[in-house]
Amino acid sequence: MEIIEKIKTNKSIVNQTEIQRFCIKKLQSSPLPNPKSELWRLTNKSKFSKFLDYSVNKKEPKFDTPYPKTSQNTIRLIIGENCQIKLIEKKYSIQQLSEDELFNHIKEQISFCDQNENWSDLLNLSLSCTKNILGLKINGSKIPPIEIFSHASINSLNAKTLVIFLEKNCDIDLLQVNLGKENSSLSQSTFFFLKENSSVNHGVVSYGEHKSNLLNSLNVIQQKNSEYNLGSLHFKFNYARFEIRIKQTSGNAKTNIKGMQITKKDEQISTYTKIDFNGPNGFLDQINKSLADDKSHAIFEGSIKVPKIAQKTDACQLSRNLLLSKFAQIDTKPQLEIIADDVKCKHGATISQLNEEELFYMRTRGITLPEASKLQLSSYFQEIISFIPVSKDRWDLLDKLLNDN
Amino acid sequence: MVNENLVKDVVKEPYKYGFVTDIETEKIAKGLNEDIIRLISQKKEEPKYLLDFRLKAFKKWQKMKEPDWAGLGYKQIDYQDIIYYSAPKQKEKISSLDEVDPKLLETFDKLGIPLTEQKKLTNVAVDAVFDSVSIATTFREELAEHGVIFCSISEAVKNHSDLIEKYLGTVVPASDNYFAALNSAVFSDGSFVYIPKGVTCPMDLSSYFRINSGDSGQFERTLIIAEESSSVSYLEGCTAPMFDTNTLHAAVVELIALDDASIKYSTVQNWYAGDEEGVGGIFNFVTKRGKCLGKRSKISWSQVETGSAITWKYPSCLLLGEESVGEFYSVALTNNLQKADTGTKMVHIGPKTKSTIVSKGISAGNSINSYRGLVKMGTKAAGSRNYSQCDSMLIGDQASANTFPYIKSQQPNSEIEHEASTCRISEDQLFYLQSRGIEFEEAVSMMVSGFCRDVFNQLPLEFAAEADKLLALKLEGSVG
Repeated sequence: MEIIEKIKTNKSIVNQTEIQRFCIKKLQSSPLPNPKSELWRLTNKSKFSKFLDYSVNKKEPKFDTPYPKTSQNTIRLIIGENCQIKLIEKKYSIQQLSEDELFNHIKEQISFCDQNENWSDLLNLSLSCTKNILGLKINGSKIPPIEIFSHASINSLNAKTLVIFLEKNCDIDLLQVNLGKENSSLSQSTFFFLKENSSVNHGVVSYGEHKSNLLNSLNVIQQKNSEYNLGSLHFKFNYARFEIRIKQTSGNAKTNIKGMQITKKDEQISTYTKIDFNGPNGFLDQINKSLADDKSHAIFEGSIKVPKIAQKTDACQLSRNLLLSKFAQIDTKPQLEIIADDVKCKHGATISQLNEEELFYMRTRGITLPEASKLQLSSYFQEIISFIPVSKDRWDLLDKLLNDN
Repeated sequence: MVNENLVKDVVKEPYKYGFVTDIETEKIAKGLNEDIIRLISQKKEEPKYLLDFRLKAFKKWQKMKEPDWAGLGYKQIDYQDIIYYSAPKQKEKISSLDEVDPKLLETFDKLGIPLTEQKKLTNVAVDAVFDSVSIATTFREELAEHGVIFCSISEAVKNHSDLIEKYLGTVVPASDNYFAALNSAVFSDGSFVYIPKGVTCPMDLSSYFRINSGDSGQFERTLIIAEESSSVSYLEGCTAPMFDTNTLHAAVVELIALDDASIKYSTVQNWYAGDEEGVGGIFNFVTKRGKCLGKRSKISWSQVETGSAITWKYPSCLLLGEESVGEFYSVALTNNLQKADTGTKMVHIGPKTKSTIVSKGISAGNSINSYRGLVKMGTKAAGSRNYSQCDSMLIGDQASANTFPYIKSQQPNSEIEHEASTCRISEDQLFYLQSRGIEFEEAVSMMVSGFCRDVFNQLPLEFAAEADKLLALKLEGSVG
């Protein structure tokens, strides 16, 4: 693990920014997460060390987007390439944040963070150079949909960071696409700050290629009356870990999350979510779906914390899982920690296979078993895919999920 | 708007079993080492294999670290400051109840446990454990007629050594966890039940555990074996006096059900919970596990947990036999500064196994009430099913209710369903009841009782009445 050695010795990471110096210092005492902690216990050790095996800072080849930009009025940004943005029109403005602004905001987030819980962010920020940090301040309304790409290059570890500030009364549709390459690792950290009355429809689509790895973390701070909708999809990674941390700073905010992870072969994909309600009248509706086939392993761990101050919180968390092979395994752990008494909180979890009665019904109507299974799967996927914003049809996500092997 | 304080008052209730019996006891010196273990074993005239079992467990315990994952945050226990053996002094051998110290009988009388002849009409056989020893077991002759063995574990070691040697430690191995290892090393007494093939136990069996000394721990061990096609219902009750110090209770319960056998194990746990400031109370660290070894065997746990300063308890079922069934029904009520971390483990190993979990937690005061459970479907558990339901009720805005279910599946041809919800005592329902002339206190009691109904329905008749009474007592307060 060359990277960990570099962090330990604080050598050979050249031209360090202030953020990098700060995070490397935090990581130096214990550069790896504790494998016995609840958040890292189920991580496949060999896959995780494979993630760290690639070296950083290799010169990245030019990125070919898999789909050309349509005529649709969409803003497309690629982290690491065209970071010079200045889009100011009458009704809206998108500005790039300066290094100082970035440092101040990120420092606030990670100063008192838990090493195990925020390890993915600390690693990302230790490795992410100025070029690979994209910070945006978005203001105004009627902003065109935004697509942001993060990609890995073959045989290397790439760290990309995205920081987005959404000013008051602003609302956007944003699709974030993380693309893994063959034999590569991608570390992606995203920081979202939603000011009062702002709203985001956020899509995160991550898909890899053979032997690609991903460490994706998402931190969202919501001020009152803000609305955050997330549709996420992770598939085709040898090892992927998606961490979602959402904090409603003063309550009165709305969060909807619909996520899905699909594992095949011997892949391991995990989702960890932590929702903190820090004020009254918070709302959460979360559904996480997993599908595990072949010899793969899907993990979901969701934690909801409702302190005394968060009265009248309405939170619902559902984990639905399909286990399609007798060699695959699924772990799920939805958790509730509640102190406030006037709340509505519930969670549910199911693990099963495809519904036999439905399959039988379709077969009696002349549909073959593989077709009937596909039909059932497509309805299972569709609930999540339909929640992902910005020209999702163009991405043929459903097709990819049903036909990719 | 419901007056919060009013509700809080309602759940306050003085502990009624907190008296101390002034009786001469035989205690050994404080501390834990190999010599102490040899001394306990010697006092109980145990065979060599049992001493070896204890010493092996002690060696393992020394290498283990006290678990802290439950985050219960209790004061460090000084294991060298505990008396590991304390027994009321009595004549060498008791042949009938008449020879039991009247003070002891009086104690159990006060607790409502029928040990004396005139109270035997209740048709429940009782094994009464006082500190480290079992003082009496009732209805033994009647049970022996059916071939049922019901005695203290010390007696079983002497009279049924083959069964003890065969089964002890097979469900909860000595190295299972920190407290199980400690219990294996120092266990003093407990109950032993053996139901022979084809026998339905003619009466409910019951153990009553009483801690009397303030400085001694209680480490009892219960072993129940149900042979093919047999069935038994076993009840367990516990109380302790009020002391300012914390007393450790680390028990191990092992159940074994063979083909078509069924065991129903019910607990009403009402150890002293400490005072309102959290001073004193029992640390209740218990390992309970049942093994459904046989086909179509069934183990059912039902529990009402109202006492103890800290409860750390996960009655579990290992479902090995084809079509075996595991059940867990639990009500946990915490108040003041009590902390309860309880739940179950259902491990589906054999095919077509089924399990049901119903857990109701009620937290009041500044207490913490957590459900922590595991449901696991192994690779061979094809056609298995699990259903879990965990409901929490919060009374007051200082109490905390947590749910940590852990679900793991390696078998596609199985189904797991889990649901959990949190609620409070609904103002509308309270208002409705009060507007019909029902007193506030009674209305709260009715609602709590209704909330727990799913679990109470599963308790044996004798216990259901006791549990209902216990919850009503806990809810009895200074309203009005």
